Amino acid sequence: MNKLFPEIYESLRFLLIDLQKQLLALIEGIRDADPDSFKKSLSRTAYIENAHLSLLNRAYRTIQNSSGDYRAEIQGYEHVSYSLISLSRQLETVSYQLQRNDPLKNLQKRRVLAALQDLYNGLELIEPAIESDDLTLSIDICQLQARIEKACSQQLKRYQQKLQEKYEDDLIQSSFVVKDIQYMAKTLLKVGEGVISGKLGQFIEIDSYQKLEATLSEMDFDLAEQQIHIHPMGETKSGCTISGVASASEAQDEVLAIFKEGQKKKLLEEKIGIETWHEKFPGIAPEVYSYQKQGDKAALLFEYLTGQTFDKLLLDNRKVLQDGLNCLFSTLTEIWQATEQEKRMPTSFMSQLQKRLSSIYAVHPEFNLKGLQIGDAKQPSLEKLIKQAAKLEEKLQPAKAVYIHGDFNVDNILFDVIKCEINFIDLHRSEYQDYSQDLSVLMVSFYRLKQYDPKIRQRIRLSMQAIYDFGADYAEQNNDNDYALRMALGLARSFISSTRFVLDKEHARSMLYKGRFLLEHLSQIDKQEYKNYQLPKELFRD
Amino acid sequence: MAKKTDYFEHESLQDRDAVVDYLQALAKAIQKGEILLSDGDEKLLLQPNDLTLMSLKASTTKKSQSLRIKLTWNQKNDDEPDKEPLFIKAKKPKKSS
Repeated sequence: MNKLFPEIYESLRFLLIDLQKQLLALIEGIRDADPDSFKKSLSRTAYIENAHLSLLNRAYRTIQNSSGDYRAEIQGYEHVSYSLISLSRQLETVSYQLQRNDPLKNLQKRRVLAALQDLYNGLELIEPAIESDDLTLSIDICQLQARIEKACSQQLKRYQQKLQEKYEDDLIQSSFVVKDIQYMAKTLLKVGEGVISGKLGQFIEIDSYQKLEATLSEMDFDLAEQQIHIHPMGETKSGCTISGVASASEAQDEVLAIFKEGQKKKLLEEKIGIETWHEKFPGIAPEVYSYQKQGDKAALLFEYLTGQTFDKLLLDNRKVLQDGLNCLFSTLTEIWQATEQEKRMPTSFMSQLQKRLSSIYAVHPEFNLKGLQIGDAKQPSLEKLIKQAAKLEEKLQPAKAVYIHGDFNVDNILFDVIKCEINFIDLHRSEYQDYSQDLSVLMVSFYRLKQYDPKIRQRIRLSMQAIYDFGADYAEQNNDNDYALRMALGLARSFISSTRFVLDKEHARSMLYKGRFLLEHLSQIDKQEYKNYQLPKELFRD
Repeated sequence: MAKKTDYFEHESLQDRDAVVDYLQALAKAIQKGEILLSDGDEKLLLQPNDLTLMSLKASTTKKSQSLRIKLTWNQKNDDEPDKEPLFIKAKKPKKSS
């Protein structure tokens, strides 16, 4: 809402005027015990609905016609309008109750009126908050909620005590009214959030806002004065939201930091992951600027790393992709040499896959087959194949453990072409493990990309081949004899378990088939054949 | 028949023994890695790959029953446009062990 959209703003002002009338009439009705005032309050709803619809229409037209990207600002208006309309419906319910009953004598008018007055003050703040250059007033709106909430809970407690002494219908009715006011305060909070979101250009809840504010003030930025511009950058599979934080004063929108917000458990793991990487292999992980927690939520502000992820590099020219991959390979070799342990760490690919089966079947129920029979030929079920392969897995020689990324997907690795440097992000699952864990995950994360252009598919195949060959080369130099077999198991695990992220049926099927093929293939070889095992490279093709 | 050489189609009525003969001939050809299909005028030579997508479809109605077997594999393509490997082996002396 840095830019006012006069048409939309006009509808919002009409809506507000009528909503204030609706609330004022309700206040008068309670104060003067006047049934006509309730009627008057109820009569406003039609106008309010109209203004809301007109706002939505205008917002839609503006989005259609605007050349700039003002979507977030306009959505801010829509958000405010939706919250106001639900506030209006809540007022409507209260008026209905009070109109047909006579709970007023027990209503402890003074406190209820005070709460409603706070609500009214909140509404009065909306216009100045939208027109204002900073966020102070919007935050004030949000804070009114806490005040109303507190007054209402105290009141409800009193009613409860009275009700325990003696049951009275009036008391029940009064409790309902107070409860409704409590809900209305929550809606007011949403209004405030809508205004803040419109101003910041991204939807944000007040909790996150406060965390971001605290975090940024450590960096000497003041969010309320809008020295900062934040923009959404996506969501992770674990439900965290990621935003880019840029200085509003910079001529170019240079990103200063990444703000990640979500479940405390995930973010704490990530923070520990990053810090451990700083210890084990400095320079590969982003720097953490600040970490804030509150309840079961947390926020992390960390260094914005330049560079492109491998899913983007794939679309760039071949040379850049090749440089990126080879830079990655030499970085991995350094990391593995620097962190290698004497201890060998057995893989658990098959038990990981077993655990994923139910979520795979939830996405692709048709994958859940009990086994196949054609004449005399039989094919075991996936569960059975996994069990057989798990036995083979136990017999394999594990590699010496190295510190691995743990969630080594194409979009978690950054390559900076200019600096010729690799960085890792999303480090919440890093640990000491077999390097085939990371390599197999990376290969399949290439394969499962939703890129269907034959030229790109060919590059995907070559990238997978390159990763495999690099690993084979490392294995050879380090006398790791069972690399091919462990990779076959790791790839089978990733091909099958990643189908739960792939909704394209054909693509998902081809991954399942490849995974199954590997498991069937492995189940047929003898121990004597282990050391000559060759992974069928044809599998990297579509 | 004016069929293109990249397409072949055949249909005929056979007894059980003949069907088995044909299927065995097909199995042998797949094993060998070369299936020759010809109707006299045109011929088509298929070279099955090691990795083959096998799909079976069977259906049954009051009137008839049918079984379709479809085998699909990638072409062995020696002249694909982009086939240079992306992994460049680091020129380091082998670790002596």
